[in-house]
Amino acid sequence: MMTRAFLLAWMIVAGTPAAWAQAPSDVRIDIHGAGQRIPIDCESLAPSGDRNARNWSTQADEVLAHDLEWSAVFLVSRSWAPGSRSFDAQAVVGGRLAVNGNQVRLMGEVRDLPARRPILVREYRGTLQEWRSVVHRFADDIVLQFTGEMGVAQTQIAFVTKNGSSKELCVADYDGANLRTLTADQSIALSPAWAPDGSLLLFTSYRGGGGPRVFVIHPQGGRPYLVSGRPGLNTSASYSPDGRDIVCTLSQDGNAEIYLLDARGSAPRRLTNHRGIDTSPAWSPTGREIAFTSDRSGTPQVYVMDRDGSNIRRLTYDVDYTDSPAWSPKGDRLAFVARTGGGFDIHTCRADGTDTRLVVTGGSNENPRWAPDGRHLVFSSSRDGPIGLYISDLDGTPPRKLLTAGRVALSPAWGPRPRGSGAALDGSTLNPVTGGRP
Amino acid sequence: MNERSPRWLAVTVLAAVLGVAGCASKKAPEPSTPPPVPQATETPQTPPPAPAPAETAPAPAPGSSDFQPVFFDFDSYTLRDDGRSALDQNAKLLRDNPSLAITIEGHCDERGTAEYNQALGERRAQAARDYLAAAGIAASRMQVISYGKERPFDPGHDEAAWQKNRRAHFVVRS
Repeated sequence: MMTRAFLLAWMIVAGTPAAWAQAPSDVRIDIHGAGQRIPIDCESLAPSGDRNARNWSTQADEVLAHDLEWSAVFLVSRSWAPGSRSFDAQAVVGGRLAVNGNQVRLMGEVRDLPARRPILVREYRGTLQEWRSVVHRFADDIVLQFTGEMGVAQTQIAFVTKNGSSKELCVADYDGANLRTLTADQSIALSPAWAPDGSLLLFTSYRGGGGPRVFVIHPQGGRPYLVSGRPGLNTSASYSPDGRDIVCTLSQDGNAEIYLLDARGSAPRRLTNHRGIDTSPAWSPTGREIAFTSDRSGTPQVYVMDRDGSNIRRLTYDVDYTDSPAWSPKGDRLAFVARTGGGFDIHTCRADGTDTRLVVTGGSNENPRWAPDGRHLVFSSSRDGPIGLYISDLDGTPPRKLLTAGRVALSPAWGPRPRGSGAALDGSTLNPVTGGRP
Repeated sequence: MNERSPRWLAVTVLAAVLGVAGCASKKAPEPSTPPPVPQATETPQTPPPAPAPAETAPAPAPGSSDFQPVFFDFDSYTLRDDGRSALDQNAKLLRDNPSLAITIEGHCDERGTAEYNQALGERRAQAARDYLAAAGIAASRMQVISYGKERPFDPGHDEAAWQKNRRAHFVVRS
């Protein structure tokens, strides 16, 4: 709210006086109801600068249209695609893309319809190598403008890809672009989890021989550091929302239990104490509670406890096998998998276990993880045959496949928004258009 | 195809030689430098610890084919009658060859989740180890590793494959 008010005020000060003769209409719309996407029309960005600028602007058109579609906020029509123009579009997105040498400048414009009054006019700059991120910043600002909350087009997703019998850790942009492999040890990497500031990735690996151990690695690459290599299992690790603690599964006392470690992997504190299997811990966004899986009732079920291990209560009852709890970023719901017949479906329920809804079915679907805006779930699925990553917008539209260079991909984790993106008012990278339009 | 490849046996042997995996009572050595933490700094402030050993292992140790695998029911780590008789044979083999040390791998079929199966696989390997310990085999000769559903013996997607994959598997370390 603060951010948006600031943004609006700033734009009014910086914008062309003529364009702001009247305050821009407040077009924020509550879209929490499913299926209420805002029709919006994308026009081609006008290329300028170098001779090959059109090549880049044509690609930027598609990236921007996808970002807006995949935000789950908009119903997108593309003016360059014959017959797709929406007649009830509430706004039109366009602008110019200038390419000069290694520099890209996107002058983005959003106007309401039919009056075509400016809603958002901003400039984004970057190097040619960063052109996708330049477009993603504009898309995220459009989502911010319409919903009061940043989009997730600048986020990344970590996952593992299967190569023969080994699994390597990978990171890609949220749309599958810029895929890079972080490990090459021909071992088994599993269960990546992002630090809340996006600076590190925890993961489980069998690298170096022996059993599964927890490592941490920089998402830009480099070597992994050992976080927990205690006897037995060291798995399912994730940072607390404040980054100060790690929750994980250890079996150093003979049986899989949930432990709290400090951020370097030291000072273990045991949270569960049961002869059954306790695993798959997941933080609530406040860090005050931890969901986990336990077979203490006979089959794996999802439970919730306070962060000190007290106040354990069972969350799921209706299916004989549930696992992989994941708490939504707003804390109101949890996603989990439930085995039905031959495979797993994904459900969500309220944090108290009520109001269970089936959100993904078809094939076997595992490891649901929320996007930072809580509007999407990424998960692995065999719905089309080989296991791959898919994203559900939780609004009844079919899940879309995340392209992972044709590799078998699983165990995803959706990263946080980049730091500072919420404010998005960094003058060094983001400037308003100050009357420069012809 | 159904048996462990020599490379994995070699890795296991190497791990044992280097003491990386150690026996169950020995803690794996932690590196002298701590891992980075997600605070303000984005780069590690300490030099990285020594890299993990490369997979240049010596020739594989004695084959594991003499040891019988122990199979389990779906979602279960309870020993069945056929599992007990397999373990009785394995116990005899260990008694007859007192210098042998083994790794017991726990494996699961693909129908569970990855995280839960890692714990379930460990339970299966532990059930086999505990039975052998009760039969008089020294715990120091037995190391337990769970692979969950990550290393299926049969890549199929039917009950015949799944049954093969729900097992405690024996690998000779030395």
